Amino acid sequence: MADFDAIVVGSGMSGGMSAKELTERGLKVLVLERGPEIIPERDYTDNLNPWEKPNLDSVPQDEIAEHYPRQYGGVAYAIKESTKHFWVKDSEHPYEEAEGTTYDWLRGYHTAGRSIMWSRQTYRLSDLDFGANEREGHAIDWPIRYADIEPWYNKVETFVGISGSAEGLPHLPDSVFQPAFELTDAEKSLKASVENSFPERNVIPARIAHLTDATEEQKSLGRSNCQVRNHCHQGCSFKAYFSSLNATLPAAERTGNLTMVHNAIVESIEYDAAGNRVSGVRVIDAETNEKRTYTAKVIFLNASTIASAMILLQSKSETFPNGLANHSDQVGRNLMDHVSGANATGYLSGFDNKTTFGRRPSGGIYIPRYANLDGQDKPYRRGFGFQGGATSVGNAGGQLPGIGRAFKEAHKLPSAWRIGIGAFGEQLSNPENRVTLHASKRDKWGNPIALFNVKYGDNEYKMLEEASKDAVAMLEAAGCTNITATPVNLTKPGNRIHEMGSARMGRDRDTSVLNGWCQAHDVPNLFITDGSFMTSAACQNPSLTYMAFSARAAHYAADLIEQGVI
Amino acid sequence: MKTRREFIQGLILSVGGAATLSACGDNAPAVMATAPHNPGRFYTGDEMALVNRVSDLIIPRTETPGALDVNVAGYLDGLMSDWANADTQNAHRAALARLRADLDAAVGVPFERATQAAAEEALTDLDARAFEIDHSMEGYRRFKGFITQAYFATEDGAVQELKWVALPGRWDPSVDITPA
Repeated sequence: MADFDAIVVGSGMSGGMSAKELTERGLKVLVLERGPEIIPERDYTDNLNPWEKPNLDSVPQDEIAEHYPRQYGGVAYAIKESTKHFWVKDSEHPYEEAEGTTYDWLRGYHTAGRSIMWSRQTYRLSDLDFGANEREGHAIDWPIRYADIEPWYNKVETFVGISGSAEGLPHLPDSVFQPAFELTDAEKSLKASVENSFPERNVIPARIAHLTDATEEQKSLGRSNCQVRNHCHQGCSFKAYFSSLNATLPAAERTGNLTMVHNAIVESIEYDAAGNRVSGVRVIDAETNEKRTYTAKVIFLNASTIASAMILLQSKSETFPNGLANHSDQVGRNLMDHVSGANATGYLSGFDNKTTFGRRPSGGIYIPRYANLDGQDKPYRRGFGFQGGATSVGNAGGQLPGIGRAFKEAHKLPSAWRIGIGAFGEQLSNPENRVTLHASKRDKWGNPIALFNVKYGDNEYKMLEEASKDAVAMLEAAGCTNITATPVNLTKPGNRIHEMGSARMGRDRDTSVLNGWCQAHDVPNLFITDGSFMTSAACQNPSLTYMAFSARAAHYAADLIEQGVI
Repeated sequence: MKTRREFIQGLILSVGGAATLSACGDNAPAVMATAPHNPGRFYTGDEMALVNRVSDLIIPRTETPGALDVNVAGYLDGLMSDWANADTQNAHRAALARLRADLDAAVGVPFERATQAAAEEALTDLDARAFEIDHSMEGYRRFKGFITQAYFATEDGAVQELKWVALPGRWDPSVDITPA
């Protein structure tokens, strides 16, 4: 008899949703988290004032060099003395890149994973995305279409809470929205100018997972509306932004069906060849190195796109000598991220008598994809969206000329409004972009470390060059002055922290790892619902899609268990 | 009367937040009390005197406290001791040495002995050069940045000068600025 009905590996964005849906279906669920427990009352630091954070909240430079060189190099804006405990130490969690390549693997190991540190931008995919590979004959087709996932987007969004505005754009379907954070006057001016000059483009409020009109269900979990502090990288004591810790894990816990074990690093998944099923998860205690095995009827891998692939690759057997559920040899391949590096800023006059109140979280505007919507009309494939905002420049941190009273007061005088926008583009899948297990190097628990071999293709370079020109053109149309566009410099693969594709879904077990239910073709009681399943990347921030697919897969698995199929 | 911490705790409970504030205030930094001419943990006595004098000229006391009132020099002494690596420390020390030499030359006497008017004039000229002409003065600009950021990171600087609000509670994208 199995210890649990289901084991969910990972407690982050998708693992939390898997656990919630499975427990709410009445299943006894074990969530394995490789890191330590985060207790909000102890570990969130969002209530510290500036004067309660020593040394400008900066992590000592020698400590950065010793423990966080890669993490800090990737997200310096987020790694502060008050937040460093949410990020892994590179010194304890090394990885390597193939010669001539670079990769940012930016992450946190603890309750709720990166759902604590995410930027909360939340957008649906559409059939423009689900049908892209088929239309272009690129890679393989997604085995589902928008209609299959739409009800699950609705369900998940109602629970999560998304602030945004209904726009009726077919290529960026509306979510179930709570009120948007209204645009600033400068942003409204930009919107009018851009939409007038470029009718196919839209400037809309960013859609972010912040409560602005909390529902009774959300309040029942102790969540309340966003207090507009923009302390989100430090956690949120109001539980106003969505994270597993703020929402899905408490929802799972209140069913009475959740067991959560921390410091449980997965060594492998055990495979029963006679029954063609996975039977359990073998873990190593991160603190004691003790090994133990938990068994269950069904296993959900939600360890993250890279970690889930590595777990499969580590789980070798006679049946699967190249890794569990890897008949297709696609595990670890097709690694995608979004690509940035085309940015522009400019200054708008006419708003010097205006300011704002509150510190709006996570950006202000979104310019949805407008390229190649009706066929191929650009010199590159797919497209990109822009994220950005327009804010009064304000306190310049001392980089203003002058001394004395005039200098002191310049920091609170009405100031210029600066608009900044940056592209997030789709990276095409490529089977040669992959993560594998290092042949000889192991981590302190004896597991192989990751070896990345990921490069951008010509399409990404071409697309970002065009995005840069478009950004400048839009700021010019808006009447900006002092427009600056830094030379296009593509972000490192992985830097957008949207890893996808390492166990893609498809219709054919020879070319894909998962079917349209996120169920392994090769092993019917194994599901993977983190970013691994993504057959293509689209250009939208993907966490919402992970959660929608997790909920859908969880109910499918629960149905199969009820039917005695798995 | 409620303390600030109790006040925020009340607000969190009133809007439904469940977390308590165990972290709030527990890590409040202890900026070492420093005397204008005494050495700190990082600064020599001469350096401390210069940092105090220059920070006072850049951010003087007005209707709100100035750099001396909030002990910016003590803050920077801690920053250099606890945050900066050896390269940053050396660069900062070199920037202070050049600043002293430039200012001493400008006023014709040790800078701390210059009159208020002469000191203001010399630093104003030097500052203008740093921002408009002389890109080799990056060390001064960085020092000025440290002074300003440290000042606004103190409670007086943040609350009294910048009107920092711990808990805005709402977003208003369009607030008219009216002349005082």
